[in-house]
Amino acid sequence: MLRALIATSISLWAAPPDYETEVRPLLAKRCHACHGAQVQMSKLRLDRRAAALRGGESGVPAFEPGNSEASLLIRYVSGTEKKVVMPPAGPRLTEAEIGLLKRWIDGGAPWPGEETAAAPETRDKRLDHWAFQKLVKPAVPEVNDRAWVRNPVDAFVLAKLEARGWKPAAEAARGDLLRRVHLDLIGLPPTIAEQDAYRGDLDAEAARLLARSEYGERWGRHWLDVVRYGESNGYERDAIKPHVWRYRDYVIGAFNSGKPFNRFLVEQLAGDELPGANAETMIATGFNRLGPWDDEPADPAEDRFDQLDDVVSTTSQAFLALTLGCARCHNHKFEPLLTKDYYGMVAVFNGLERPRNGRTELDRPIGIRDEVDRFNQREKKIADLREAARLDWLGSGKSALPAAAVTAFLTAAAERTEEQKQLVRDHTKAYEQELKALPVETEVDRLKKEVPDLPRGYFLEETFRQIPKTHILVRGKPGVPGPEVGPLVPAVLAKAQPSFEPAAGARTSQRRLRFAEWLASPDNPLTARVIVNRVWQWHFGEGLVRTANDFGVMGDKPEHRELLDWLAVWFVENGWSIKKLNALIVQSSTYRMSKASNERYAAEDPENRLLWRRPMRRLEAEAILDSALAVSGRLNRRMYGPFVYPHMQKEALEGSSDPGKIWMPYDEQAASRRAVYYFVKRSLMVPLMEVLDLCDTVRSAPKRQTTAVAPQALQLFNGDFINRQAHHFASRLREEAGPDPARQVEHAFRLALARPPTATERSTMLAFLKTESLEQMTRVILNLNEFVYAN
Amino acid sequence: MPIKRTRRDFLWQTGGGFAGIALMHLLSRDGFAAPAGSILAPRQPHFPAKAKRAVFLFMNGAPSQVDTFDPKPELTRLNGTAYRGKLAVGSNGRPIGYLMGSPFEFKPRGQSGLPISDLFPHTAKFADDLCVIRSMYTDTAAHASGCLQMNTGSIFIGKPSMGAWVTYGLGAGNESLPAFVVMTDPRGGPIGSASNWTAGFMPAAYQGTLFRSGAAPLLDLKPPVDDRTQRRSLDLLKELNEEHLRRHPEESELAARVMSYELAYRMQTEAAAVVDLDRETPATRERYGLNDKLTADFGRKCLITRRLLEKGVRFVQLYSGGGHIEDTWDGHNDCITNHRLHAGETDKPVAALMEDLKANGLWDETVILWGGEFGRTPTSEGVGKPGRDHDWHGFSMWLAGAGVKGGQAIGATDELGFEAVEERVHVSDLHATMLHLLGLDHTKLTWFYQGLNQRLTGVRGELVRKVFA
Repeated sequence: MLRALIATSISLWAAPPDYETEVRPLLAKRCHACHGAQVQMSKLRLDRRAAALRGGESGVPAFEPGNSEASLLIRYVSGTEKKVVMPPAGPRLTEAEIGLLKRWIDGGAPWPGEETAAAPETRDKRLDHWAFQKLVKPAVPEVNDRAWVRNPVDAFVLAKLEARGWKPAAEAARGDLLRRVHLDLIGLPPTIAEQDAYRGDLDAEAARLLARSEYGERWGRHWLDVVRYGESNGYERDAIKPHVWRYRDYVIGAFNSGKPFNRFLVEQLAGDELPGANAETMIATGFNRLGPWDDEPADPAEDRFDQLDDVVSTTSQAFLALTLGCARCHNHKFEPLLTKDYYGMVAVFNGLERPRNGRTELDRPIGIRDEVDRFNQREKKIADLREAARLDWLGSGKSALPAAAVTAFLTAAAERTEEQKQLVRDHTKAYEQELKALPVETEVDRLKKEVPDLPRGYFLEETFRQIPKTHILVRGKPGVPGPEVGPLVPAVLAKAQPSFEPAAGARTSQRRLRFAEWLASPDNPLTARVIVNRVWQWHFGEGLVRTANDFGVMGDKPEHRELLDWLAVWFVENGWSIKKLNALIVQSSTYRMSKASNERYAAEDPENRLLWRRPMRRLEAEAILDSALAVSGRLNRRMYGPFVYPHMQKEALEGSSDPGKIWMPYDEQAASRRAVYYFVKRSLMVPLMEVLDLCDTVRSAPKRQTTAVAPQALQLFNGDFINRQAHHFASRLREEAGPDPARQVEHAFRLALARPPTATERSTMLAFLKTESLEQMTRVILNLNEFVYAN
Repeated sequence: MPIKRTRRDFLWQTGGGFAGIALMHLLSRDGFAAPAGSILAPRQPHFPAKAKRAVFLFMNGAPSQVDTFDPKPELTRLNGTAYRGKLAVGSNGRPIGYLMGSPFEFKPRGQSGLPISDLFPHTAKFADDLCVIRSMYTDTAAHASGCLQMNTGSIFIGKPSMGAWVTYGLGAGNESLPAFVVMTDPRGGPIGSASNWTAGFMPAAYQGTLFRSGAAPLLDLKPPVDDRTQRRSLDLLKELNEEHLRRHPEESELAARVMSYELAYRMQTEAAAVVDLDRETPATRERYGLNDKLTADFGRKCLITRRLLEKGVRFVQLYSGGGHIEDTWDGHNDCITNHRLHAGETDKPVAALMEDLKANGLWDETVILWGGEFGRTPTSEGVGKPGRDHDWHGFSMWLAGAGVKGGQAIGATDELGFEAVEERVHVSDLHATMLHLLGLDHTKLTWFYQGLNQRLTGVRGELVRKVFA
């Protein structure tokens, strides 16, 4: 104790302790065994200044020269952090030893010999990873079989095949291509009229399909997978997100209108911060609020960061295909991503708040800025007028309510006695009727006519005057803040940080806008590559990089990197247009190959990475259900609007904690809309969708899976949906093909499979119809492998 | 041996794929196991283990440790006095009352003398088989996150449940029944519903399947037509699909889909047969408590569980309690009446299940886990009412069966029963231990997702080695 006192008083005037003779021996004795040259627990070493300042896997420096109080080293050895006390074994450091370290750090932590002669760091080889390199358009390779090359896509594919002496699969049959391109672009099989009209011009067919509104319903759904689209919050109450469906409609509309992807991106992250912000761009920022939300979190401090993590992880995966979320608690174990990168992105979004009233989420008016301002002013004015009129009325003695009730209503809610609360409950109805009859309501009506109501939207808002400071959190714990960070983009992707300065007069921090502009700039090495790869995957079932959400060191190494880069540059050159990219891909001979296998190629390249044939691809849940409806003739083509409740087996509600309340009664017409409009309730997925491998709705989903298990067959063969469509399908056959079974069979095949039956199939079906009903035949057709697989 | 997922073995890798004849051969085989190559095909465990299947008796709402398996004489002595400890007790700002000793008597049971309260006279007969962990703790005081953590290892939704991990790790024992069966309480499911038995980011094939209460326990089990028509329609489907398969002979994915319809057809019969308890003897029905309104529902579930295990089902989870507070073990108002009710509903059926598993030899291949999402406070909730609030600092669970050393209590809470103080066992430690009993190494049972090898135990999980026989 005495020594400690002396030490403290000495520190007032003494030079900092000497590293060599005082500090190093202490570190060597108590720290270096685990954090030294031999062993680096938590990747921290304390025997070199540079390493100590870099910190361990938490990404936080071990100490901050000049500031012992903020230094992790001091916090850990002095026991102020409950969860981590260092050293973990042996006696605790004495007061004197801690004092020594403090004085040394406060004195600038002089470390002779290292400051100037720091050993050159070995370069991190991970920085050379292909996906982090600048995007450069590769030369289109020369090939022998030039006739096969319809566009440069084919040259890249063929060059690799020819190098092995391989040949691409032959072109698929005309009918196959027609069904393929229809299912691919609009998610519905070609009608008989479309089959009859088709003359083999696939490019023209694709152009027609790209112009149809069903295109957005199919391709918008692809994007909804990536952004974790869900319409309820999950967790205990799993409340419905008000008006969230407008975001879904926005996505469908964006695909249909051909909105350039760079613009699409900016609107979703920062639509409210754009100069011309309007209802559409505000709805787009619903992106930030789509995730699950626990309205009764176990730990509110952590919950704030969980919500930010949802946005940061989704953004980094959706646009950059980086698993930045792994750097929340420590530097990324595999990728060159640091906690600083993670919290730098947290700072980008840290201004956002969830409009809510306790556990209840609120929606917000949408429109151009002036409209929203006028509306908000109107609302405030109405509230003020009504309050003044209310007080007048209650004070006038004209109210018919008992005097005690009047007093109760005049008392602020929080200050009412139990008795008054009861009075309020008893008289609320009469009270409200009186207020409704007050003359002020005429004025309110006038104001409402003058400034009309606005539609509502679901998004987060930046309402902070001053955005909260963001700190790197040690081990991801809000209670252990490390150094402060401002908004940053991941260092590995940018030679220099973009400016995060807001424009003059901006109402928000504009951090998201700056971040989005950086994402959408042609200099960003990942954004274009990532979306082009997704588009490829949505056409072929597999991307050129097969881990669509992970382009990092741990991600899949693409066989066709040059093709990917060429496409990415082409995409940027062509105005970030997804539709143009669709057309380019459909135009290629690569797209038009048949699925025919080849024993030798299959043995050498079983995953078809060289793209020697068209891969097998089961349709997604939505495309299967939509196709069944199209074939049965019952597809309700109404677009947009609030979600619909599809048929739900009543037994499916049995496992729910509140079975009576959560699903609306079945309305066949409404439920016969495309499945993209089905209610996505996180705690209760539609069983038929789920068993057909609907994606994870909690986090960004890179790809649908394909499984075939018995419960899937049960639902498809025995369940209400398919049997109902089989019934309608049979009625349609009778109506359109007449009573002749042969014509019915013919018609059924063309409707469902876009081809006539073979002779064998025809006779098999006719034999079946001798003893069984047409409904049984259509039930079987809707369950065929061929029906649920794209051509 | 990590279970690697590539696109090839994720689907149905069978070399050349099956053509129709090979397929029919597989389908005509007598036996339960899923065919090789299926996503649910049996897989070798990481190391040999006795347990091949598991039962999780989930006491939804959180049973009180000091009233069940953790006797506290000191608590009884201090009954009615204020709690002076340092722990933050209770949840949601509910009022804290006084220390409240258990009104239930604890007796030493069996040869081991393991103390069990009078709430469980039937289970107590198996004291020498029970391994009680008295030092459990978890990270949350709320039911929703507590159930999630106990089932999936995480307080966040979207992670695969333990049953899904086991199904992924070991495959199905019988593909004409679901590999992982869940039976909920008729009063309602647990908070979070299917999040508690989800496959999360893994294929839906691994998720828990709800077995429902009626004669058709699975969704769409009952065909909309008579069996003759059903069979003829399926035959037509098979014939056309095989014709299609002949055009694509390499495609094992297509072949698997053909097979799934045949398995579904078998499932129609098998699943319905499993829940048909009419042929059980009156003595059996009596032992499971089917004749008593109090025990009939859970008794039925336990009896179905025995039959599912006999058919090779890998993982069965039963929920006791559901719906509103006092319909679960959540005894906020009157823990005594509450626990009498819920223990009364479950004690006899659980004992009957254990008895039967011993008799039919499955005991040595089955591990049983009993417990809820956390425990309850040794204090009363408020003054003058015998309720108990949530306690996540310490609670009890028990294991029994294959590979488990019975007749022992592991760890300890403090002298009043608030907090686990000796040999503390986190939920993730329990998960690691359960997987180990089933021959699975929790650090190797991984699924690559979002840039990480995801595990049931996250970055935690220490084996509780004392559990092992």
